[in-house]
Amino acid sequence: MSQTLRAPRASAPGRRSRVPLRSANSPSSHGRSLGGPLTAVPWLLPALALVGVLLVYPFLRSVYGSLFEDNGFERSFVGLDNYARLADDPIFSRSLLNTLMWVVGTLLLPVLLGLLIAVATYRMRLGGVVQLLVVLPYAISGAATAVLWNFMLTSDGAVNQVLRAVGLDSLAHPWLLEWPHNTIAMIVASTWQGTGLNVVLFAIGLRAIPRETLEAAALDGASGWRLFRHITFPQLRAVTVVVVGMAIVNSLKAFDMIWILTKGGPSRSSETLALTMYRETFRLFHVGYGSAIALVLTVIVIASAWLYLRRQMPTSARD
Amino acid sequence: MNRIPSPRTVLMLACGLLWLVPLYLLVVNAMIPAAAYPGEPSWLPRDLALWENLRTAWQDAAIGDSFLNSLFYAVVCGAAGVVVAAMAAFAVVVLPVPKPTLWFWVIYSGTIFPLQMFLAPLFGLYADANLYDSRLGLMLIYAAWAVPFAFFLVRNQMATLPPEVTEAAMLDGATFRRLFWQIHVPLLLPGLGAAFIFQFSAVWNDLLFGITLSRSPEVQPVMAALTSLNSAYASSGPPVILAGALIVSVPTLLVFLAFRGLFLRGITASAR
Repeated sequence: MSQTLRAPRASAPGRRSRVPLRSANSPSSHGRSLGGPLTAVPWLLPALALVGVLLVYPFLRSVYGSLFEDNGFERSFVGLDNYARLADDPIFSRSLLNTLMWVVGTLLLPVLLGLLIAVATYRMRLGGVVQLLVVLPYAISGAATAVLWNFMLTSDGAVNQVLRAVGLDSLAHPWLLEWPHNTIAMIVASTWQGTGLNVVLFAIGLRAIPRETLEAAALDGASGWRLFRHITFPQLRAVTVVVVGMAIVNSLKAFDMIWILTKGGPSRSSETLALTMYRETFRLFHVGYGSAIALVLTVIVIASAWLYLRRQMPTSARD
Repeated sequence: MNRIPSPRTVLMLACGLLWLVPLYLLVVNAMIPAAAYPGEPSWLPRDLALWENLRTAWQDAAIGDSFLNSLFYAVVCGAAGVVVAAMAAFAVVVLPVPKPTLWFWVIYSGTIFPLQMFLAPLFGLYADANLYDSRLGLMLIYAAWAVPFAFFLVRNQMATLPPEVTEAAMLDGATFRRLFWQIHVPLLLPGLGAAFIFQFSAVWNDLLFGITLSRSPEVQPVMAALTSLNSAYASSGPPVILAGALIVSVPTLLVFLAFRGLFLRGITASAR
């Protein structure tokens, strides 16, 4: 029996060699004691049932549903019309623009600030305290952060109060009521929450750089920006890949903050794709159209994650 | 060395304090008596009414019920998801499954997509199966949602165990169940813990499933309740809302401070 079982395993690609029992040179004797292919069924079944019924099936159903005009009660097949409509929908274009702003903003603010704070507090007296203060908001959930920033950003909120108190009345804005201030303000709010995690991750990366590397560079006369640019930053590559990858995927999925602060408004001006899908499907009952938006979002998420990782991973580790 | 702090230190401490300002305002303004809120954020603590505000949020605004709901969802579904995922990882790594890579991708695919991709059909499915607005319904989706990432995490760890561990136990005549519970689970406890803490936070912080698949206060998870509190109390002023935000932050804050190492382990693995 072990012989028949080995056939599919032998044809498996190389990455499988990380799984000990499947490596080509492991002794064949264990196969005898492991039983037939059905032994694994009860172990695999709960996971497959949960994921299959509640995630994979809805996923496929969404893809299929995006080909229908569907108001929740009756539906008719319209082929790719929903996708064609997207191109002419000004709300969708605005939503796409906001989504792009979220991605760019998240890369500029939390990622860059996180790197800056991590490098600046590296081996600094009280550096750990600063890091803890910055990471504290991360432990608060997105919804609570949103509620707090609603209080900060409303027209008579703390931000405007401070601006007026220091004489910058002209800068005080109804932050959440005008585009593009609302999107930018919400990106700032999520920066407040998200930067800390990046600081911690970059700090872990910095600690992993061998002291000798930095000392050798310093002996060769590198310091300040040059030391950072040519020595420190290249050594942070692995962490940077993780942080940037997370920033891209998470900013594409941003929902909680926007839903609580503006509900995507006013007049749908601050919606991102995640919001537009939700509103079309569950508020306006354009279920098919909403599914099309969900699929567009999914394709963007997967394409950017894939392109990014493909570029960043060294070829040897890519498989 | 020198006593005078460098500009860098001063700048960074200022940065840390700036970061603290919203949290400070959160606590200070959650203390003001709701009726006496001046209409603008207060910068100094006055009249300690924190306890009353917390109680109003907990009881009258029904944060309490949903707090307990979410605690239940997060603990039970986090644990169930991790166990189910560990079993699947065990099957894929140790047992002779044909095409393990296929199963890996089938299960793992659940973690890549945005939740929006599942929502509409799930809503339909739940409406048909009478699971809409029920605890069981939310628990099922939370458990399923926990599986893919936990599976990914546990599988990677399990694959690093030396095969001799399994072989020795098999030679001693251990059944799969014994092998799993008495060899793999104890050896992988830190990884399982990381997966659990990650899922606990994910379920606790969930808003999207909560507002989509439930409506009544008895079923709603805590973030959905906080959101309705935010809109319902908008007129009467922020102290109660902020008190609610304080309440819902406690569990994740405690988990984070207590298990920072495990927490970060889950996070860093999530991006790979």
